[in-house]
Amino acid sequence: MGKYVIRRLLWMVLVLFVVAFVTFCLMHLVPGGPWDRDKALPQTVVDNLNRKYGLDQPFLIQFKNYIFNAVRGDLGVSYIYQDRSVTSIIMGGFPVSATLGLVAFLIAILVGVPLGIAAAIKQNSFVDYFAVIFATIFASMPNFVLGILLMIIFSVTLHWFPTSGWGSIRQIIMPAFALAALPAAYMARISRASMLDVTRQDYIRTARAKGLTERVVLVRHILRNAMIPVITIAGPELAGLVTGSFIVESLFSVPGIGRLFVQSVSQRDYGLIMGTVLFYAFAIAIINLVVDILYGMIDPRIRYD
Amino acid sequence: MVKHNDGLKVSRRDFLKTAGALGLLAAAGSSIPLGIFSTGCSKSNAPAGAQELSVNLAGEPAQIDPNRASWAAERSVISQVFEGLLGFDKTLTVIPVVAKELPTVANKGISSDGKTYTFNLKNNVTWSDGTKVMAKDFAYSIVRMLDPDLATEYASFYYPIAGAEAYNGAGTKTAAEKAALKAAVGVKATGDYTLQVTLGDAYPVFLQLMSLWPVYPVREDVITAQGDKWTEAGNYIGNGPFILTEWVHQDHMTFAQNPKYWGTKPKLTKITYKMITDANAALAAYKNGELDMSGVPVGTEKATMGDASLSPEIVRNADLTTFAFQFNVHVAPYDNLNLRKAISTAVDRASFVDKVRGGVGKVALSWIPPGMPGYDATLGTEYSFDVTKAKALLATALTELKLADASKLALKFQFSDTASNKTIAQFLQGQMKDNLNIDLTLEPMESKAFTQTVNSAKHTWAWFGWGADYPDPDNWLPQLFGTGAGNNHTTYSNPAFDAICKTAGKELDNTKRLQEWADAQKMVIADAPIVTMFYRERFNLVKPYFKGLTPTGMDGQIMGDQFWTNVTIEK
Repeated sequence: MGKYVIRRLLWMVLVLFVVAFVTFCLMHLVPGGPWDRDKALPQTVVDNLNRKYGLDQPFLIQFKNYIFNAVRGDLGVSYIYQDRSVTSIIMGGFPVSATLGLVAFLIAILVGVPLGIAAAIKQNSFVDYFAVIFATIFASMPNFVLGILLMIIFSVTLHWFPTSGWGSIRQIIMPAFALAALPAAYMARISRASMLDVTRQDYIRTARAKGLTERVVLVRHILRNAMIPVITIAGPELAGLVTGSFIVESLFSVPGIGRLFVQSVSQRDYGLIMGTVLFYAFAIAIINLVVDILYGMIDPRIRYD
Repeated sequence: MVKHNDGLKVSRRDFLKTAGALGLLAAAGSSIPLGIFSTGCSKSNAPAGAQELSVNLAGEPAQIDPNRASWAAERSVISQVFEGLLGFDKTLTVIPVVAKELPTVANKGISSDGKTYTFNLKNNVTWSDGTKVMAKDFAYSIVRMLDPDLATEYASFYYPIAGAEAYNGAGTKTAAEKAALKAAVGVKATGDYTLQVTLGDAYPVFLQLMSLWPVYPVREDVITAQGDKWTEAGNYIGNGPFILTEWVHQDHMTFAQNPKYWGTKPKLTKITYKMITDANAALAAYKNGELDMSGVPVGTEKATMGDASLSPEIVRNADLTTFAFQFNVHVAPYDNLNLRKAISTAVDRASFVDKVRGGVGKVALSWIPPGMPGYDATLGTEYSFDVTKAKALLATALTELKLADASKLALKFQFSDTASNKTIAQFLQGQMKDNLNIDLTLEPMESKAFTQTVNSAKHTWAWFGWGADYPDPDNWLPQLFGTGAGNNHTTYSNPAFDAICKTAGKELDNTKRLQEWADAQKMVIADAPIVTMFYRERFNLVKPYFKGLTPTGMDGQIMGDQFWTNVTIEK
């Protein structure tokens, strides 16, 4: 296991390097740069800016400089928020996105999985139909529509929660639900389907034939096996949630990293694009590793040597 | 039962491992407080009588260093914390602020050749830390703004200052050469309260430039000590009516009264700038009482006017901003004058303002907007909507272009792909089809790609807008229509126009100067490199208790943000 983890971490370094290079190339290849403004800047001003940010250097030298600095932990400065380092921007935004994402993830798991399980146990009952309707509605409703709906009901009409901002529990509830709706629906569907699938397996019939109580069959055999696909999707889902959502963060004015990432691309903020992409790649690689390790613990058929 | 326990044990271990993974992620940013455990809510439930204002900045300002700022949101911040030698009153007339009086030739503030300006400062103006604002602070600020290594975006506006262009363009020179060029810049503090600025040539709008934010004073000792951190709350020392007390990045900014303010103290004790980027969310925040003023989502203006409860709260104000379609006049068939005139005459601007802009804005037949010198209501009337005339012009154009019919024109229109621009493009497409039977191809582009295409004149026909940096034709004509000028994306070139720009730019007789600019604008309108469409108007909802709102044609991001000093809250 230790060797496996070390091997994976070494691969991760290579992956990050490739991600950095590809991003760096793409970023400079797309038309339009950070200084292309509606009101065009004079050439002298553009030259000064290019020199300040090292954009007057040859492409590969720029990349080399970036990597050397990044290895030392310096991700450079933002091209838009010129007084702020990329590291401080990411470290300001990520905890916010991660908190919001974790709350949304917990809501998704706590609502979605039990609903899916209940639907599978009582197949074709009221609970099942409810779960299917719930999943269909929330899987198909875009979160900006849901977000606005929540705002109209809970802020404008009932005055329970503020519409925007960050810093209190009341401010986290609406964005968390807006963010959790789709994954919760997804979790419900996956866990329902997976439960039904496992229930039909031969080893479940065997377990029942051995005379185990229904409770033991359910908890020990069905649930444990049915949760494997759920964990498979929970990993990437968690990674997606904690790295922030552009739409929900913009709608609820949450100062997270998801909004910044999209902004950085549209404004060609080279420093922030590189920083956030590398950070995302790192976070997702780590989460995937954790999920793979979890597999080994749950499923005895999977072993890492 | 043992087996049962085993089952539970596995699932609990899974749970703990999952929790561990989550903990790892949270730890990545653990040095920053997550801050979700406080129960306070930032809603502005100020007690009755509290002079607290909450408005929407609609996003994080890029950076709030006056010398480097170039965006509207940055101005909204800088205007509260800094004051220049000169400023604009609410009618956009230049007035003395830190300066004792407006320099004129009569009071010897301006030399008779118009090249030397002497500013006498008031001696009772203080910084927010209590020290005096002196001429050296302005000298430092102006020269710093021109520093090539600081790479400020408005530096080129100040190239009329002697030696400014040479110093700002010295980026690749040695340190010694830079120092020599820096010393040669024509800005000197000749006394504690006297600043002298020498220009390379006479430049009559220079006083307007001295009223803008890039030359507001900044503190050398603070910048030297704090570096890039000097613009954070607490370090941000200014001389204006308010101080920045809090800046939670990407979330909000808070201002309080500057206790050391030298002038009349404002009534407001607290201003909160929120950073709500979504227009629907901002409106919801307004309705929920979190904002005292808000815009409405584009396209909902009409519905708002029809809403019985909201319509009394609407405040509209004309902006010094004009929107137009610009041709690339060096690309066929847009190089044909009659075709351009035909198109300009075939566009129903009134219907555009009504249907596309929700009735907000004013039809524009000429370029310089109302509310500033140079506006001419009689100009461009030949382009009033007239389908018959447009068809006749088109027929002439087709003959000149030797084309059999309009379908051979193959017109293409580029725009930055946003929802509101798409509506504009589709409107134009409809007008061309209905009125001239021309098929227009729409070419949506990603925003920065579009900007680059236009800035490098690779477009054929595109949408654009221009807002005043300062309210003078000098800011509206040479930069946009002068041969080879930086913002001349129509590639328009007219030697007669260039010649007028040259003389008008330095004409010291103001009546004569404005007449010259009027002539120049006439040339542009006659040659139709642009199809002017509308003058922008701000459209906001303002709470009834929000009194003294003073909008101008040159506000920053927020309507009325140049005069929060006039505002009172009467709840």
